[in-house]
Amino acid sequence: MATITKQARKKIWAFLALGTFVGLLLLPLFLSLPAGAGDTPAPAASTDAKPVEKSRDVWYKTEGPVIGAPAPKTTDSAKDYPRYNFESRVILWVALQQHLYYGSFVLAVPIFCMIVEYLGVITKDKALSRKYDQLAYDFVKISLTAYSITALLGGIVIFTFLTLYPTFFGYLSSIFRPVMATYALLFIAESGTLYIYYYAWERMREGFLKWIHVAMSVILNVIGTVLMMLANSWIAFMQSPAGVDADGRYLGNVWHVIHTTLWNPINVHRLLGNMAFGGGVVAAYAAYRFLTAKSDEERAHYDWMGYVAMFIGICFLIPLPFAGYWLMREVYAYRQQMGITLMGGLLAWLFIIQAVMIGALFLTANYYLWQGMDRMPGAERFQKYIKYMVFVLIMCFIVWLTPHTMVMTPAELKAMGGQQHPVLGNYGVMSAKNGAINTIITTTVLSFIMYQRANKIPTVKWAPYGNAFLFGLFTMAYVNIIWLAIYGYYIPANVRVGLSVPQVASTLSCLFIGVILNSIMLKGAKDVGPIVWGKISVRGQYALIMLATSFTWMMGLMGYIRSSVRLFWHVNEIMRDNSPWAFTHTIGFGANMISFNVLFFWLTILFVFWLGALGVRKAPATAPVGQKVPAPAGSR
Amino acid sequence: MAEKAGQVTTGMKIAIAVISLILATGYFTFLDWGGGAMKIQGLDYFYLFRK
Repeated sequence: MATITKQARKKIWAFLALGTFVGLLLLPLFLSLPAGAGDTPAPAASTDAKPVEKSRDVWYKTEGPVIGAPAPKTTDSAKDYPRYNFESRVILWVALQQHLYYGSFVLAVPIFCMIVEYLGVITKDKALSRKYDQLAYDFVKISLTAYSITALLGGIVIFTFLTLYPTFFGYLSSIFRPVMATYALLFIAESGTLYIYYYAWERMREGFLKWIHVAMSVILNVIGTVLMMLANSWIAFMQSPAGVDADGRYLGNVWHVIHTTLWNPINVHRLLGNMAFGGGVVAAYAAYRFLTAKSDEERAHYDWMGYVAMFIGICFLIPLPFAGYWLMREVYAYRQQMGITLMGGLLAWLFIIQAVMIGALFLTANYYLWQGMDRMPGAERFQKYIKYMVFVLIMCFIVWLTPHTMVMTPAELKAMGGQQHPVLGNYGVMSAKNGAINTIITTTVLSFIMYQRANKIPTVKWAPYGNAFLFGLFTMAYVNIIWLAIYGYYIPANVRVGLSVPQVASTLSCLFIGVILNSIMLKGAKDVGPIVWGKISVRGQYALIMLATSFTWMMGLMGYIRSSVRLFWHVNEIMRDNSPWAFTHTIGFGANMISFNVLFFWLTILFVFWLGALGVRKAPATAPVGQKVPAPAGSR
Repeated sequence: MAEKAGQVTTGMKIAIAVISLILATGYFTFLDWGGGAMKIQGLDYFYLFRK
């Protein structure tokens, strides 16, 4: 009886704790409601008999009462832009970028943690369940130190804004006051939830309490995602303002200010990007621990951890370009000139660099999978195909990074006979590039299917039919992608643009149909031998570090592109940047700054990794060499 | 089971592969043209042929 009472008491406490978290989650939203989410805000209109001045929203075109002051017209003076013998923009750039790196990391890792902890709870095999649980714990442990650094960097960002761009920051915070208050409260809720989630891990390890613990991770991630979306609303407002009139006066509708035209595309793109980046960083952490491991058991564990993190990262990398397409489409729809500046003008060369990075990412992911086949007996059967895949990938990579036009001297231009090379110029067009990138992704899917099969022989009766179907699917997908790429050369641009849809659909068909069919075929397959975790070349681990570095570099690059497309505006077409640093930097300077930020981040995150390693007294939930350990998507 | 799977003759395998290729061709043609992808984009697929 006493036990039942104790259990019941535990349950009541657990429910109370969960209720408190939900309350904390809803509190900021509740508090922000009177701030004027509706169309009839209270403040300005009430006391005075003076008629309320009304004005028109620059984006929504609705009328609203003028509440805020006009956007300040700044001058190049110490009042608006204090000087500290250094380019203020560069200081802010570093502070913001570091905050963003750490912020992305601490938002992504709890999502992994939630997925892995949930897998642990639903897995019936107790040993596997413990391994998943330990992995989730490892994830959150890394993010905890990073979380403190994120908060610290957030403080530095605000301090930097206030000291270097006081007028602009004053204007932005006057518009986003309720949002910033909500943000601060949510941040407190996030911190509290994260710390309780981490420190209650041991106490809530079993039974019903474990489910409450998993529920807490869901709440943690909801808060984290809302935080990210609120922060996104500030940058989206700067790029495509809404909720203000042409003079920048706030019209009282906070939802309009948040929900600008680019807000949701940025939200989706950032969420996916954060996940891919988080996967990369955790994989790099695992690689670091693998390379410094003293025993086979440790190596086996961190090899597995690196694989899982890489797998999750790649899963989010694949839809990322489509979210990017959506964002660019909305940019073009908002201001065509902005789109042209990005992709066809001033910043176009940065997209070439991005292409190189994306190509490198896919090449590295393939390389890691091939290296990973070392751990699987029976994988030798597939070795002979790798050279052909390398050939296809390299050829496509070369096409993918061929620029449309080159920056040249008049003499070079004359020698070449125009801006485009007579032969290579043919590969610098969108038709060729769409074909190339879709072929790269399809080949990556093929690599993954090969990896899934490496130590398995399908035994289902319909295996020959399944194999034939896979053969037909991939062959015709390649034919279709290449045929559409060639066809694109013969039709006008407005017709050609539509070809990307069936090309992408072909790639996605291979991804979904191919991987699902292959996984079904491998149910109950004959094992050639177990995966020997830890038996992978160190090159494979360096590939993980390379993946993570590429993610980091690309994130810095794309952030720079998105931000610098505003050109000389603080808030596009509303508040002009009159500081001496309102010019666009050269590509070389931009690239150096990005590299500096990447280096700085990796040096500091190494410190975080080192701290994480200090806390480990023994190898966690180790998998003896040769023992089966769980891996996603039928890779066992 | 594995033995049974191995009993499919080479001729049969080729036949299955050819059928699969035809099926896949049908599927991708559907994606390209008939499946609505082109219609959504307002793409005139026969532009070149009519020209």
